[in-house]
Amino acid sequence: MNFEGLFWALQVMAGLGLLIAAIAAVRFKNLVSAVIAMAVFSLILSLEFYILQAPDVAIAEAGVGACLTTAMYLLAIKKTTDEEVIE
Amino acid sequence: MTIDGMFMWAMILLLFSATLTLIRLLAGPTIPDRAVALDSMTTTTAGAMVAYGVITRQAVFIDVALVYAVLSYIATLYIARYLVKKRVGIACECEGEGT
Repeated sequence: MNFEGLFWALQVMAGLGLLIAAIAAVRFKNLVSAVIAMAVFSLILSLEFYILQAPDVAIAEAGVGACLTTAMYLLAIKKTTDEEVIE
Repeated sequence: MTIDGMFMWAMILLLFSATLTLIRLLAGPTIPDRAVALDSMTTTTAGAMVAYGVITRQAVFIDVALVYAVLSYIATLYIARYLVKKRVGIACECEGEGT
């Protein structure tokens, strides 16, 4: 196996993983599960930036997506309800 | 088999196990299942990032895996604090009520 084939296979796998994680984050009814799916989305997006030879953007995405977004969404959910309310 | 081929197969196996934990995360019935699956997937992907940095021989790529491993710990910590606050997964409610 050469390196170019691995590169393209990684691109396709990262794209499919992004799609699956985004659909899961939209479709989950429990809000904590949706936040966990968004953390997975941020992880795969960081891996995608990493594959595309941009490690500084990947570090920024790791800081914002893994730490800040998850913590702030969970602090907000802790003060409200954790099930999706349909009007 | 060369050293690069070995690291390449190691990275492929790590990403395959990350895919398996992604399936566990999508199908997990409870929230602690999904939290543990997220932690496992982050650790496995950080290992795959280190293997990719070894393959491409760029030392700056190791820093991304370091930063992600440290910050995902904080995310897992917040999820665990939320689960403790909501008393999710506690089998018996009769102990520790008066504290």
